Amino acid sequence: MNKREQIIYIVDDDVSVCRALKLLLKSHGFKVETFAHATDFLAFKHPKVPSCLVLDIRLPDINGLSLQEVIARRGIVIPIIFITGHGDISMSVKAMKAGAIDFLPKPFTEKKLLNAITLAISKSKTQNKKQAEIAKIKCRISTLSPRELEVFRFVAQGMLNKQIASKRGISLQTIKVHRGRVMQKMQAKTVTELIHFAQKAGITSPQE
Amino acid sequence: MKTTKKKNPNPQRKPRILKKSGISKRARNAERVRLEGLVSDLSKTRDNLGEKVRQQTDEIKEGVDKQQRSEEQIYIRTKAMESTADGIFIIDAQKPNFPVIYANQSFQAMTGYGKKEIVGRNYFLLYGADADPRIVEEIKHTIHQGKSFHREMLSFRKDGNKYWNLLRIAPVRNTRGAITHYVGIQTDVTLMRQRDLEIKDHREELLHVTRVGKLAEFVSSLAHEINQPLTAILSYAQAAKRMLTNREPQLQEILQYIINDDQRAAEVIRRLRSLLKKSDPEMKPLDINALINETVVLIATDVTLRNSVLKTELDSNLPLVYGDRIQLQQVLLNLISNSLDAMESSQNSREMLIRTSRKDPDTIVVAVKDSGCGIPAENMKKLFNHFFTSKPDGLGMGLSISRSIMEAHGGRLDVENNPDRGATFYFTIPIGVKAAL
Repeated sequence: MNKREQIIYIVDDDVSVCRALKLLLKSHGFKVETFAHATDFLAFKHPKVPSCLVLDIRLPDINGLSLQEVIARRGIVIPIIFITGHGDISMSVKAMKAGAIDFLPKPFTEKKLLNAITLAISKSKTQNKKQAEIAKIKCRISTLSPRELEVFRFVAQGMLNKQIASKRGISLQTIKVHRGRVMQKMQAKTVTELIHFAQKAGITSPQE
Repeated sequence: MKTTKKKNPNPQRKPRILKKSGISKRARNAERVRLEGLVSDLSKTRDNLGEKVRQQTDEIKEGVDKQQRSEEQIYIRTKAMESTADGIFIIDAQKPNFPVIYANQSFQAMTGYGKKEIVGRNYFLLYGADADPRIVEEIKHTIHQGKSFHREMLSFRKDGNKYWNLLRIAPVRNTRGAITHYVGIQTDVTLMRQRDLEIKDHREELLHVTRVGKLAEFVSSLAHEINQPLTAILSYAQAAKRMLTNREPQLQEILQYIINDDQRAAEVIRRLRSLLKKSDPEMKPLDINALINETVVLIATDVTLRNSVLKTELDSNLPLVYGDRIQLQQVLLNLISNSLDAMESSQNSREMLIRTSRKDPDTIVVAVKDSGCGIPAENMKKLFNHFFTSKPDGLGMGLSISRSIMEAHGGRLDVENNPDRGATFYFTIPIGVKAAL
């Protein structure tokens, strides 16, 4: 994929650091967006392209670690590379535990930054792919009728047609029809694939 | 027999016998007057005598009482001198070798010498051979001039063990004003001195830790401030170098020099910081109330010297917290000494209150409240920043260090002004949680 379609977000309150990093990363062909405040970054609607966040750990409005939490809570999926002028070991441990790609003490070399970014982008691609797949499955699920969704859930639990029929008091024939439609709408070739979809989409058993 | 009859004391009764004896009436009258005078004299003398006897008996009685009373007083005084924990002794001032004529029990216990070894012996030999001769000379000189002596000296017991001796000696004068004796009191202050020394050591240790902490914090801030532009310079140079790929070899070379020197500067800072690395906190379970009491002892002298009062209101029902003893004491001392500064110019009573309580099931809060000048609104936001200070000789490190210490403990340090006057600083510590450090 073209680097022009990969976005590097930089959040650092030092204008010069932002500008220099932007110049450097642009020279490597990345698209770069810089923010002086965490809130500006949160307000920015970022497109679903491979991306990563280069985040200063101490910001005037919010601590970088707290921003990491907020990002996770808002369901924003983006790999984070922390940068810091303070070399706090304790913070780096926390950041890494919370899933950060790397923790770079300032000043860092181009090579170190690029290594981290390469890693982050490849992770972002995997994450995006997974998210797209889930979105696709969820989209297919949305086409199911309520009865079909119920059958889907029972099948996902590994129940046999007979069991479903007796549980719901419906004829075996009807269940077979529903099930056929579920397979068709979900574009599943085998039952195993269907169960796989259910797991990815987080489909759970119907409420008893 | 006649005369006996003549002595008849009853003058009313006329004695007929006289008439019969043939003495003239006139002569009889004169005789009667004379006798009557005699009787009256006798009776007076008898009365006087009785009075005198009574007086003398009273005097004797009084004398006996007086003696009894004074004996009792002497007994009580002697007993008191024997009962006190201070060593008391009396020296004969009129003999050249300062012999001790009295020493109480406590003196004997303190010096380790028995009564027989003390009485008659030169007082100045009882400090032990190792006692500072200059002080001994000072004592002699002072009391010789008729002045009182008062100071602490290192003394040695009979067995050679040393003890700190708070010694007071005063001259005793007779009615003519001449010095006849010296009376001395001595107290073993070894334990008190040891405690003072321990407090002093602990304070110095804390001061040292604080000083190193300030320096480390200073270097850390400085490092951050310098690392920011170094990061920018490095990235600018690397970007420029990349833009010039395959062009301008000379400029490329220069850019590489810039990159190298930037990294050299970064290395200097990195080394400086590792040299002054903040020591990792030693997290142990501790009783916050006990810690506060220890800290209050450390600063008690300062509080008194600055005419202030420090009270505590400690919730006795608090669980242990995880923390670094030294660092938490540092925070407490910082808050207390800030409060003392804030109350320096106060005309009102200077009162401080340290209160502990449970904020919620998981948190303990410690509040340090003062009755000082409070914090102006414009300073509230900057209060915890590095290098911010409202004191002429302040560094602006104390509160920022305290706050980072509390953050490392998983707590928080904050402040608010009191509704009446002064401010309250308070910090929270999570209960039983080992902070993630």
